[in-house]
Amino acid sequence: MPYTPERRPFSAWNKLFLGYRRYSGSWAYLLQRLTGIGLVTYLFVHIWALTSLMDGRAAFAKEMVTFTSPPFKIAEWLLGALVMFHAFNGIRIAVVDLANGAKYHKKLLGAVWVTGIAVVVMMFFLIFSNEIFAK
Amino acid sequence: MKGEGSLLRSYARPRRSGAPAWWLQRVTGLALVFLVVGHYILMHYNPISGHDYGQTASRLASPWFKGIYLGFITIGMYHGLQGIWNIVRDYKLKPAVGLTIFGVIVIAGVVFVGIGWNTILSFDPLKP
Repeated sequence: MPYTPERRPFSAWNKLFLGYRRYSGSWAYLLQRLTGIGLVTYLFVHIWALTSLMDGRAAFAKEMVTFTSPPFKIAEWLLGALVMFHAFNGIRIAVVDLANGAKYHKKLLGAVWVTGIAVVVMMFFLIFSNEIFAK
Repeated sequence: MKGEGSLLRSYARPRRSGAPAWWLQRVTGLALVFLVVGHYILMHYNPISGHDYGQTASRLASPWFKGIYLGFITIGMYHGLQGIWNIVRDYKLKPAVGLTIFGVIVIAGVVFVGIGWNTILSFDPLKP
């Protein structure tokens, strides 16, 4: 069935936020960009933060005290959500572009969400294993 | 580029196809799926696997790991900044603005890949 956008009067704000992004694939497109911007920002911080490896064991350990504090652990877990969505939706994009994924891209998107949420929940138990499984 | 005018003009009317960049974005992306998801799981496999100097030093003692990390930084930064440039290109910018953003992206990428390579190659596990 051909794509036919609905022609309803929209307010300016509705147009901006709902106008052409009401379809699951459009949300995936937008989320792929936002998670991508987030990940490349994190990559710069990550490379910069790890220069402390050159300052020896003590400097690195001191930095890791901060990075293993609860707020940073939660942030690291949430970072995983960006990673998993961007990675799995990226596979979907490759299947659509390089194979015949266009025929079943909505099913692929369902698989992206299911796999992504499953992996993020699994990572919660790994990252917080000390807190959850403390004797 | 004979008879094409200034660099600004050639940016405003690019002749080259974006197909290689488009294809590389898919290929590096598929490689990064394994690299990034693997890295993320490895770094959080247990509480110390990613946050302990000794664990990091033992990984960096392996030339294989060093090589993988060097490639990881490079293609990760390439994929990320190619993606940013791809978003920027969707907006109709003045050629001078677009060229400036492109320059910032390229310089930031080269500098930070250099910082990352320097961290890995000059790493000395015996430093106190």
